[in-house]
Amino acid sequence: MQAIIPFFQWCDDTAVAQAIRNSRIAFPVIENFHLFALTVLLGSIVVLCLRQFGLILKTQSISEVAAALRPWNRWGLAVMLTSGILLFLSEAMKCYGNTSFRVKMLFLFTALLFQFTIYNRIVRNEGATAPVGGKIAAGVALCLWFGVGLAGRAIGFLG
Amino acid sequence: MSILSICQWIQDTSIGTSIRESIWVFPIIETIHVLGLSISVGLLLVSDLRLMGVIMKRRPVSEVYEQIKPWMFIGFTIMVITGIFLFWCQAVKAYNSIFFKTKLILLVVAAINAIAFERGIYRNVAKWDNALVPPMEARVAGWASLILWAAIITCGRTMAYTF
Repeated sequence: MQAIIPFFQWCDDTAVAQAIRNSRIAFPVIENFHLFALTVLLGSIVVLCLRQFGLILKTQSISEVAAALRPWNRWGLAVMLTSGILLFLSEAMKCYGNTSFRVKMLFLFTALLFQFTIYNRIVRNEGATAPVGGKIAAGVALCLWFGVGLAGRAIGFLG
Repeated sequence: MSILSICQWIQDTSIGTSIRESIWVFPIIETIHVLGLSISVGLLLVSDLRLMGVIMKRRPVSEVYEQIKPWMFIGFTIMVITGIFLFWCQAVKAYNSIFFKTKLILLVVAAINAIAFERGIYRNVAKWDNALVPPMEARVAGWASLILWAAIITCGRTMAYTF
């Protein structure tokens, strides 16, 4: 992992990173948006997964619920990533040495990969009920995204 | 007895002290409180957006609302229980925090907004259940709810920075 230290150092030295560090309110404000986005992004995933488990919104097909939530899922993700990148830049070197951060990135890339290659395709074709495979996919998506959140919270607590 | 001395007593109870001094319990409760946002406010978002006439417009309002409500309550129950424990172990800091006081007031306002909606326009939901865009009163309730919850999240997060 030594090879990527210069990249982390460069992130830490960018003008944006310095501006965030030098401001008293920038970090809390950005983190607040990170939290809003968590609510929207994880919220949309929770709702869709509950639908796949057959627990809510049963009168709508799964693909219908997925379509209604899609823009919110995408916008949540966009705000999440933008605010996340800004937070990362402002403490890139701290993140480098942080095990929880590494675990979080692992969860994040797996979650994104799973969602955009497998999960989105599955829910697009599901009707009134999800087959066992669809329910398993819902469980996996839920675990991966909550894993991102859990590891993210651990960055501050555990290091 | 003043409110401050009650807060002092609350955080000095054995439960308050043991949560505060534990390595794991506090972070675990705090994490559940934060990630619980996705279940409580996340589900609330969907029903508010239907009230605002933004999503699921072809489904009756009552259908969306009633299907989501029990899960929303589970979410908010998780938030209240974890929130009480978080308060328990740092009651004096909370007492001294303007953000905590603001958060409490906003929570009361959000509850009033929800009750006013249920007792008000929602009683006649049969008349506008299939409206693509619900009447003004319902839309305002939806907007107010979202704005209030955004403010509550902001107060909650900011409060922790000042602790």
